[in-house]
Amino acid sequence: MPKIGITALVPPELIFACGGQPYDVNNVIPASKKYSKNKLCAWTAIWQEMLVKREFGIDSLIVVAGGDCHNALVDGQKAAMSGIPTHFFFYPFDGDHKYMESQLYSLCSFLGDIKYPEKFRQIKELKKAGQLIDKKRINGKISSAETFRILISFSDLWGDPDKFKRAIATVQENDIEINNRIALIGVPPIYHDFHDIAQSLDLQIVFDELPYEFVRHTGTGISEVARDYCDYTFARPLDFRIEFLQKELEKRKVDGVIHYTQFACHHMLEDEILRNRLDYPMLTIQGDLPGKTPEQIKLRLEAFREVLERS
Amino acid sequence: MIGLDVGSSTAKIVRIEDGEIRYEITGTHKWRDLVEGIEKEDIISTGYFRHSVPHKASVTEITAAMFGAEYYFPEVEVIVDIGGQDTKVIDVKRNNFIINDKCSAGTGAFLEFVANYFKIELNELGSLHERAKRIPHINNTCGVFAVSEMISQLVAGYSQEEVVAGMHYAFARRISFMIPEAGTIVLIGGTVKNKGMVSALQDILKKEILIPEEPQIVNALGALKYYSG
Ligand code: SF4
Repeated sequence: MPKIGITALVPPELIFACGGQPYDVNNVIPASKKYSKNKLCAWTAIWQEMLVKREFGIDSLIVVAGGDCHNALVDGQKAAMSGIPTHFFFYPFDGDHKYMESQLYSLCSFLGDIKYPEKFRQIKELKKAGQLIDKKRINGKISSAETFRILISFSDLWGDPDKFKRAIATVQENDIEINNRIALIGVPPIYHDFHDIAQSLDLQIVFDELPYEFVRHTGTGISEVARDYCDYTFARPLDFRIEFLQKELEKRKVDGVIHYTQFACHHMLEDEILRNRLDYPMLTIQGDLPGKTPEQIKLRLEAFREVLERS
Repeated sequence: MIGLDVGSSTAKIVRIEDGEIRYEITGTHKWRDLVEGIEKEDIISTGYFRHSVPHKASVTEITAAMFGAEYYFPEVEVIVDIGGQDTKVIDVKRNNFIINDKCSAGTGAFLEFVANYFKIELNELGSLHERAKRIPHINNTCGVFAVSEMISQLVAGYSQEEVVAGMHYAFARRISFMIPEAGTIVLIGGTVKNKGMVSALQDILKKEILIPEEPQIVNALGALKYYSG
């Protein structure tokens, strides 16, 4: 099975249906201890360097360019220039599903067409199970660290849906005391222990914005996938994303919002708008290099808990 | 009950007796002297080492700064705490805490580096600044680059006083980027004693900056206030 690198959300159901094995190049970064030369955002810089050095063992690459990240667009081209067969995938900013459909068809021809249509349904079922885990976490039945590890893996399902399904089935339920319900918005933190650290400071993350997108979108065929993934909030105008966030945060009864931003990432520019439009106490933090959560960020998290305790 | 602030370079203790604030300050390594004979149950700790010293309750230096600054200036909107190792900007209204921790630019360590390089006492910087007639423009706030710029300005004919003033402006400019629009800004931390730096910051922000009587003990006092309400 050819191993297909992806740089952000690309419908994994389609890759599996075309006989490929998706591999999210971001997932190894937080625990990688890698530092890269010449970098803006560490995420793209590190995967770019690893791709050029052939450290992933992938056969081809899909770069999510349009509607997501220009750093990825440039670093993806560097990987392509090094000789990796690469396809550039563009989400529609305006949610035009006809356009999305055409993008999915051209992705299909890059991958060599659909061979296993039953994969669509299989992944849809798994995503339902993922949503259930997310729901249990909201109700304090599964820890946020565990939930995060699962949701974030839905971008590629470890390249093996059967193995992934077994792993999901063994998730242990607990009774977790929830004192401070936190929504974590923005791109995921580059620190591998962030959710555990938040929990140790009595902040329970009940919403992970981007990983939730990984279980929210699916479909049983190209046209359904096109319609559904058109609503991928990160690719759409801010108003669209904020409206979605407002509903989601209310549903999850959050007490406070942590906005994680990444050094040299354009999403930082959204902070002011999010602060104005989301009516919750909000803490903004910025990460740069992968590894453990730094002390200065822990200090801010703890101070934020003190704010929530007083409000 | 006492407030104990053990930070990276100094330790402070504050108690309130007959409505009067009493305090002591010493080096971090001597923090034990401050609490001799005081029960753990009577200590509210804050600062970098808040978890490692005995305490009944502990509170982050961010929350402590809010309570301490509010004691002096109830209308405070933004607190700027220029410490030895980092500079914190606390937006009290919007609960936003910005910490400059990437490099020494904009922290007390930068001023110390410059003072050492030019063999000037740290506490002399402020008075040198006051004697400056002109203020040369210094761009860099990276310690090493700033020093080479300062040397160029000395070679170009500026006096040592003027070059120090220029350096304070560069330092204050760097900090001003971190400060949001606000009505009332309170400055705390040891570096606040440097009058040159404070006047440069006021000039850049074009507004008056409030400084508590004892800017160094604000966090220890805040810890005490946080607990006792
Ligand atoms: S963090 Fe920002 S810059 Fe980095 S890959 Fe994600 S979107 Fe791109």
